[in-house]
Amino acid sequence: MKIVSRIILVIALAALGVWLWTVLFPSPEKIIRKQLADLANEVSFSQDQNSLIKLAHAQSVADFFTSNVEVDVNVPGHGQQTMLGRVQITQAALASRQEATDLKLKFPDVNITVAPDNNSAVADVTVDATISGERDAILQEVKITFQKVDGKWLINKVESVPVVS
Amino acid sequence: MSKSCCRIGNLRETFVMLAETVTGSSKPRPHWLQVIAVGRNPRYTLVRIVVLVVLCVVLFHFVLLPVRVDGISMFPTYKNGSVNFSNRLAYLWHEPRRGDVVTIRYAGEHLMLLKRIIGLPGETVAFDNGAVLINGQPLPEPYEKHPGDWTLSPRKLGPDEYFVVGDNRTMPYKQHTFGVVERFRIVGKVLL
Repeated sequence: MKIVSRIILVIALAALGVWLWTVLFPSPEKIIRKQLADLANEVSFSQDQNSLIKLAHAQSVADFFTSNVEVDVNVPGHGQQTMLGRVQITQAALASRQEATDLKLKFPDVNITVAPDNNSAVADVTVDATISGERDAILQEVKITFQKVDGKWLINKVESVPVVS
Repeated sequence: MSKSCCRIGNLRETFVMLAETVTGSSKPRPHWLQVIAVGRNPRYTLVRIVVLVVLCVVLFHFVLLPVRVDGISMFPTYKNGSVNFSNRLAYLWHEPRRGDVVTIRYAGEHLMLLKRIIGLPGETVAFDNGAVLINGQPLPEPYEKHPGDWTLSPRKLGPDEYFVVGDNRTMPYKQHTFGVVERFRIVGKVLL
């Protein structure tokens, strides 16, 4: 009986250790998933939000990108959108808040492949954006390239992947 | 005397109970509330529940994917908000066929497109005033209740490509998601 309880205790301690390890030292995939969830949260806005809060969120969107980021995506119903650098990202985030009253961005599917050197990663992401006043949600698959800059995973490139061409 | 009688009676009851326990001939009936809540034998009920849950998870995760139609591009065949299933095993033994309504994946399977296959690999697909032309021949489409007026130039499909379109051709084609998809994106065939 004593041996069984000791084995159970050892297993419980090992499980706790593994859990603590994953919390303290998360894998790149986990960090990138969290980055994407945070980005979706920063890009989304609702009409009941204070304009100062909207402005703050719009400016913090750029923090997720590298300084030389390239965005080239085909947004269904809005045509090809191209942006270069953080300044243009911030401008686009501010413009979206002026043009629409509500925007909800979600990434329902995320597949991440981390490069062997652990310094870059590619995420295949389904984008689901709901804009107020538009009947259909915008659905698009995008390929997001991440780069590790000063220990942080930042978006370096965003390009759309045609599903139906 | 009365005491001993009582003792004899008790002994009899004990023997009967023991015999019933050993043979299992007559068990005490469980309370009706227990029968409703956990069945006559809770162990069997638990086993049944576990088996049912495992079956449901396997069935609805790996075989039949539940899908909810969102949008009007497949109207009137599939109405907005209706629920259906995508059979992932449909194309295990044969390739997708013309007329099949299929689910098409994006990066994953949480959001998918629901479209009908009208063009097969190697064919040339065109639209002429609402009529679909396959290799120059008109395609009969009994599922299309309200023909549109789309006119689109011919498109030659590659060896691994299918042409998909919704049944609602009354909407402007610029608002309709349709065109060529690669085979790997076709997840399954819509069941109902």
